[in-house]
Amino acid sequence: MLTVNALRHDSWAARLPRDARDTLFLLAVIGWIAFMQIPHVPAWCSALAAGVLGWRTAITLRGQPLPGWPWRLGLLLLTLAATWFSHRTLLGRDAGVTLIVVLLALKTLELRARRDAFVVFFLGFFTLLTHFFFSQSLLTAAGILIALLGLLTALVNAHMPVGRPPLAQAARTAAGMAALGAPIMLVLFLLFPRMAPLWGLPGDANTGRSGLSNRMQVGQIAQLVLDDAIAMRIRFEGEPPPQSQLYFRGPVLSDFNGVEWRPLRSGFPASMALPANLSVSGEAVRYEVTLEPHQRRWLLTLDASPLAPEALGLNARMTPDLQWLAEAPVNQLLRYRAQSHTAFRHGPLDNNLALQDELTLPPGYNPRTLALAVELRRQYGAGPQAAPALVAAVLDRLRTGGYQYTLEPGVFGQHTADEFWFDRRTGFCEHIASSFVILLRAMDIPARIVTGYQGGELNGVDGYWTVRQRDAHAWAEVWLAGQGWVRVDPTSAVAPGRTGSLERLNAPGGVFTGAIGAINPNLAAQLRATWEAINNRWNQWVLNYTQGQQLNLLKNLGFTSPSWNDLITVLLGVVVLVSVAGAGWQLWERQQHDPWLRLLERARQRLQRQGLAVGAADTPRQLAARVSQHFGDTAISRSVTQWLLRLEAVRYARQSPDTLATLRREWQHMRWPRDTPP
Amino acid sequence: MAAARQRFRRWFHERLPRSDTLVLTQRNVYILPTRAGWMLAVTLLVLLVGSINYQLNLGYLLTFLLAGSAVVGMHIGHGNLRGLTLHLSPPAPVHAGQPAPLDIRLSSERRRDRHGIGLGVLADGGSAHTHLGWADVPAQGSSTVQVAWTAPRRGLHDLPALTALTLFPLGTFRVWTVWRPAAQLLVYPAPEIHPPPLPPGQAQPGPAGSSARVHSPGEFDGVRAYRRGDTQKTVVWKKAAQAFAAGRHELVSRDAQSTQRQQLWLDFEQTGAHGVEARLSRLTAWVLLADRLGLDYGLRLPGRELSPDQGVAHKTRCLEALATC
Repeated sequence: MLTVNALRHDSWAARLPRDARDTLFLLAVIGWIAFMQIPHVPAWCSALAAGVLGWRTAITLRGQPLPGWPWRLGLLLLTLAATWFSHRTLLGRDAGVTLIVVLLALKTLELRARRDAFVVFFLGFFTLLTHFFFSQSLLTAAGILIALLGLLTALVNAHMPVGRPPLAQAARTAAGMAALGAPIMLVLFLLFPRMAPLWGLPGDANTGRSGLSNRMQVGQIAQLVLDDAIAMRIRFEGEPPPQSQLYFRGPVLSDFNGVEWRPLRSGFPASMALPANLSVSGEAVRYEVTLEPHQRRWLLTLDASPLAPEALGLNARMTPDLQWLAEAPVNQLLRYRAQSHTAFRHGPLDNNLALQDELTLPPGYNPRTLALAVELRRQYGAGPQAAPALVAAVLDRLRTGGYQYTLEPGVFGQHTADEFWFDRRTGFCEHIASSFVILLRAMDIPARIVTGYQGGELNGVDGYWTVRQRDAHAWAEVWLAGQGWVRVDPTSAVAPGRTGSLERLNAPGGVFTGAIGAINPNLAAQLRATWEAINNRWNQWVLNYTQGQQLNLLKNLGFTSPSWNDLITVLLGVVVLVSVAGAGWQLWERQQHDPWLRLLERARQRLQRQGLAVGAADTPRQLAARVSQHFGDTAISRSVTQWLLRLEAVRYARQSPDTLATLRREWQHMRWPRDTPP
Repeated sequence: MAAARQRFRRWFHERLPRSDTLVLTQRNVYILPTRAGWMLAVTLLVLLVGSINYQLNLGYLLTFLLAGSAVVGMHIGHGNLRGLTLHLSPPAPVHAGQPAPLDIRLSSERRRDRHGIGLGVLADGGSAHTHLGWADVPAQGSSTVQVAWTAPRRGLHDLPALTALTLFPLGTFRVWTVWRPAAQLLVYPAPEIHPPPLPPGQAQPGPAGSSARVHSPGEFDGVRAYRRGDTQKTVVWKKAAQAFAAGRHELVSRDAQSTQRQQLWLDFEQTGAHGVEARLSRLTAWVLLADRLGLDYGLRLPGRELSPDQGVAHKTRCLEALATC
């Protein structure tokens, strides 16, 4: 069945005229390029591109004329209008990508002259680059490589004007070019100086990637919890701390307006702000973080890190609430080294006026929670000395009050804390932490929410610790007199499994993963670990190859204090070296000349030593005549003349029984007379 | 500027040795980027700037891979022409105004095929190659390309400079060579399209000559070209069959009254045309006509006389004389 289909397909393709075949191939390549953009452009854009390409295919198959300029102009105007409608601009990154995809498809309607074809090719190369705005994963790279080879194949094919060469031939040439070009690519990639953006990025370059937010509204982290994307990878030097200690600190939220938690905007002057006042004890945990770009300035570190994360060109500073911030948003993969202590104390030890910020609640929200606070204080007492007991009582309530951890708590109303404490009694970390902090504040205990990531898992294949977006977490910090800020994770009171063990709520996998998982869960996990390890290598070696790595390379090459200039020196050095080697090879090749001519020259020189007067331009036959004239009709003379005539035959006869190699061998064993006769 | 360029080109071409066989080496193969090549360079620059501005390491990889492929393509293109041997077979003479076919054999010793090699006449004014004949040269084989060249006028002409070029594989580099073949092309005058009938013959001195009959033009050896009104009986069918077999459609009639042997002289001074070229043109047409009719004819040119004879060799001699007159 398969063979029959293949045969039919073959003959169908073979029956196409060459022009049509070439056009269809180019359309297929462009289709592939547009196909890869589907997730990143509006639906109408993909549909329009598919429609135009389909139309162009039909035109090719039926041999119809191309549509006139009114069609093209009309479609162009339609595209511009739709782009404006989708993006509210024609400039910027996303609008540009949308436009270029459609333009590439539209240009195929105008494939008349050679120049049009070239415009399609170069537009195609540029479209390839736009894929990297959205993803630089290994899969994307593979897809782009296919597209690049396709475009090169079409280009090579266009320059084979004679007959109907099979596309495979052009594809071989293109692949050969790419293979030979790869070393050039590697040298340039390693040595081309990495520099800062030449000018500011268009405004929307930083949107479209998910991550932690510096605001917290009910439901937002729910989306993150289901997101399996990797947030960062960590390599611990030595044993990692226990899972329950792995709190990676992100934004701290202290401002609550009844609906949303935000970072603190204090009414107090800066001089009165709460001091960080961090003191650490115990052994330091050293580790290296590879942070996925998240377009924010946060540098996630393990709680708590007293020293700034180290990376070349990275200037980090710590906020009073212990968060480390970079100078600029992290918009490329960033690798830094950091060290943390899991035993630490921070915050003011005595009551401080600025703590008032951590006590405010908006009026008119959560009346029942406020009532609960009054009730609890009556039960356990008020004042700073009662705070630990109150916190314990609230945690106890969470543990024993029938509260449950769920990813689908439903939509909460205005009084989120009330609903959590009294009605629904379900929620995930956000609801729990928010309700917890509200209750504590209502009892006059300073408290705030800390967001970040908790946990992670070890990839057994390469030993990296992987933290995913679904590990995003929110917990609380409570201020206790004499202890400062103390971390309290109310979620662990509700669902001990959420922290401290490897059990977690998995997002539903794809069909493929599901199928493998159903057969063999271990295999699925193993495959996934391997795949992520490969991805991690890719990240470490390719995507994270920055100026720092470049300068390290130079250090390894022996430069003591490498700089930009050294990079250029090395690059030029490589170019000069390769050129000299190439020129030397050329010279050698020219001296080698034609092997036949070389053998003839050797014969000529040998005869000259025998005392023959031979001309520099004598042919083998002329030499043979001279030999028989010189030596007369002897056996040696005959063998030499015959050898010469066979040499002639190798070059000029239609078919010759000899090869150059046999003649060369015979020449070496030729017997010569000792004395030359007069 | 254009004039200086043209002068440079001419000077450059003049210093190339003429040869019917040209082996292409590093020394006589030239390479320059095409307009598409510059376009690719601009594209690469845009890709590089995009990669820098968006800090895309994969963008760098793409840019450099494309650049590397283009560099390799440059070498492949140069190698496509380098090592090729061009050989021109001596061209057959043609009449003025007719394009002369130049048969060029391309042979290659390389173990890989050579693709898309175009051959053409290098136009005098510049590099505008109007007509290129394209060929692929198989591995360790040869192929033939025919290039047409129309000589400006009659005479013995040096062949114009030829060029072989290739855009393979990416069209970003033009690799070419300039070749001045040593062979010369003989161009006969163009035959007049509607020539008057052949001139009357002259009585042959010597025996015979019984009557002084006046001969109408075109009657010799007892035959003349077919005229409308000739009966079928008078047609010489034997000669007609020969003519048809040779692909011509001419009939010859028997001149019943002709008994005397006449001699046909085609004389430069007695053509009835004005101007040297017009006369030569008419004489050429007459030579061809006489040859077709299988007549003996002689040619008288200023300073030269070819005695009456017939056959291919004689025709060629006459045409050569007309060409170089």
